[in-house]
Amino acid sequence: MIKAAQLHKEYRMGDTVVHALDGVDLHVRPGEFISLTGASGSGKSTLMHIFGCLDQPTSGVVAFQGEQISHMNDKQLARIRNQHIGFVFQTFNLINRTSALENVAVPLVYTRRSFSKKTAMAALDRVGLGARAKHKPSEMSGGECQRVAIARAIVNKPLLLLADEPTGNLDTRTGRQIMQIFHDLHSDGMTIMLVTHEIDVAVQAERMIQMSDGKIIEDTAIDDERREEILNVAHDEHAKAFRDKAQRGLRSKSLTPPAERAES
Amino acid sequence: MFHLRIMMMALHGLRQNLVRTMLATLGVIIGVGAVVSAVSILQGAERDILERFESLGADQILVFNGSQKRSHRTTRKSSLLPEDAEQILEENPDLIRAVAPQFNGGGQTKYYEKNISGAVLGTTESYALINNYVVEHGRFITPQHVRGYSMVCVLGYRVAEELFGALPAAGKTVKINGKSFNVIGVMEEKGALGFVEVDNQIIIPITTAMGRMFGASYLTMLVVQCQSANRVPACIDGINKTLRTSHRIRAGQEDDFSVFTQDQFKEQLSQVTRLFGIVLYSIAGISIVVGAIGIMNIMLVSVTERTREIGVRIAVGARRFDILKQFLIEASIISMLGGALGVVCGWAMANFLSEFTQVLEVYTPPIIVFLSLVMAAVVGILSGIYPAIRAARLDPVQSLRYE
Repeated sequence: MIKAAQLHKEYRMGDTVVHALDGVDLHVRPGEFISLTGASGSGKSTLMHIFGCLDQPTSGVVAFQGEQISHMNDKQLARIRNQHIGFVFQTFNLINRTSALENVAVPLVYTRRSFSKKTAMAALDRVGLGARAKHKPSEMSGGECQRVAIARAIVNKPLLLLADEPTGNLDTRTGRQIMQIFHDLHSDGMTIMLVTHEIDVAVQAERMIQMSDGKIIEDTAIDDERREEILNVAHDEHAKAFRDKAQRGLRSKSLTPPAERAES
Repeated sequence: MFHLRIMMMALHGLRQNLVRTMLATLGVIIGVGAVVSAVSILQGAERDILERFESLGADQILVFNGSQKRSHRTTRKSSLLPEDAEQILEENPDLIRAVAPQFNGGGQTKYYEKNISGAVLGTTESYALINNYVVEHGRFITPQHVRGYSMVCVLGYRVAEELFGALPAAGKTVKINGKSFNVIGVMEEKGALGFVEVDNQIIIPITTAMGRMFGASYLTMLVVQCQSANRVPACIDGINKTLRTSHRIRAGQEDDFSVFTQDQFKEQLSQVTRLFGIVLYSIAGISIVVGAIGIMNIMLVSVTERTREIGVRIAVGARRFDILKQFLIEASIISMLGGALGVVCGWAMANFLSEFTQVLEVYTPPIIVFLSLVMAAVVGILSGIYPAIRAARLDPVQSLRYE
């Protein structure tokens, strides 16, 4: 579906040049559920924006369904974004002054086909919010807002769903509900690419890509066994990090018990 | 369909920010309102004045005392004599149908305990003829009355009504400024003749007015009626010749009288209104610029405030051109809304003033309404271009991160 070869993206920040992407090769096949992880600044968001036709690489080739996006004009890119790509953001990015239904219908405005509220309503039903169509984002919980955002992303039945930290602003339980929607969409055949730094979320995908300093450092298929493994390592690391932190904390003055301080 | 949706979206957004929208449109409302009300009043006044001129007839020439040629300053040296009227008619019989000398005075008219004050006009029998203004009861002033300095008067319709009510006035005696006059007739109801409300006027013989009432030697004006309207220029020449001879004005010396025709009045009037127009449109221009700046300001704020929304719209498939259009349409709607409200406000203002003062005539020309709306639309687009371009040029990736 998307093929990227030798992608480079450079930003100029003052005098220094930041290499957000530094030679990325990636092939996303139809129907895949990919998670993209990495520390902040590792380039995962940049990669996602390029895949979403919102940004162009400095060099390298991206082909969406066999067509190179770097050769497209604004009109063609807009059409791909509108028809074939759905975006879900960490902060939902809903338009607050309009209702859930109207938010879902925003992509339809730019589709230039006859506009139907039914289509938007169907997408809302799909995420289980049909009953709240008339409510505004300010009247809904974070989880509900994200579900509206997902409905907006899928209203044009895109080939590729890009999600940037979709659970980042949600509590664990709500995050799990959102992930369930992604799983449902995936089992219906949608290709999903999910950016996250939460390892528990990342392992739910069937392919996990780890990035660091603009490069892909790991690209693994995930089955149950591998999932266990990663989670165990992560938990160990987490526990170790916690222990280290605690010890560092103890050594620092404020956390040193009064008795010890008196001795020293 | 697409544009309709964008328009609905824009309207929706504007309704959400009603106060701000109103503030943004205020400049345009005031600008357009000022223009519409001022133009309405000006046009009303012009129409009223023109109508009055037209009621005088195109074949009339008015002759006043004093010259008006020198640098538009009237030297009001009285020079017109009652004999001038007869002389003009005598010397130009094939050009001029009638000449009515006029002396305008004022006074208190009493009939027993009833008392009204109003204009007193001294003239001759020609006055009724020239103005096509006839007596309803009784008769008009005759040459005999004029020759004989008769103490007779003809009452305007309203004067008769005030003093006598339903009773016949002819044959009664009234006192004008203490002098007794015999009422010989009552004029028909006419309203206004030129700038004079003739229904409130009392007519007496010119000789009586000048010799026995006001003690004057010179006329206020002469009204000359030509044989036909297209002979007015020839008539003017005739009048000039007669008056220059009888007033003993040497060649090269300035006239001591001035001649006006309906066309000249119209010309002067249009000069005045043109001047007013220039002042008006300058004011309008300034307020429109202020309005445009107001809208631009609001639109810039709106673009900044909706940076994220713009990012989202681009992400879900809006072209940059769509974003541009959205903001342009929004600016146009604000502006045209302002224009429409301005037209309504201006119209209401003009009519209120007209009602309030009871004097002003108001006429709102449809073209000015149309032009105001067109101008508002143009202002909207012009003031929306810059903010809209800014919106369309936003980087979607940056916009989506914008706090």
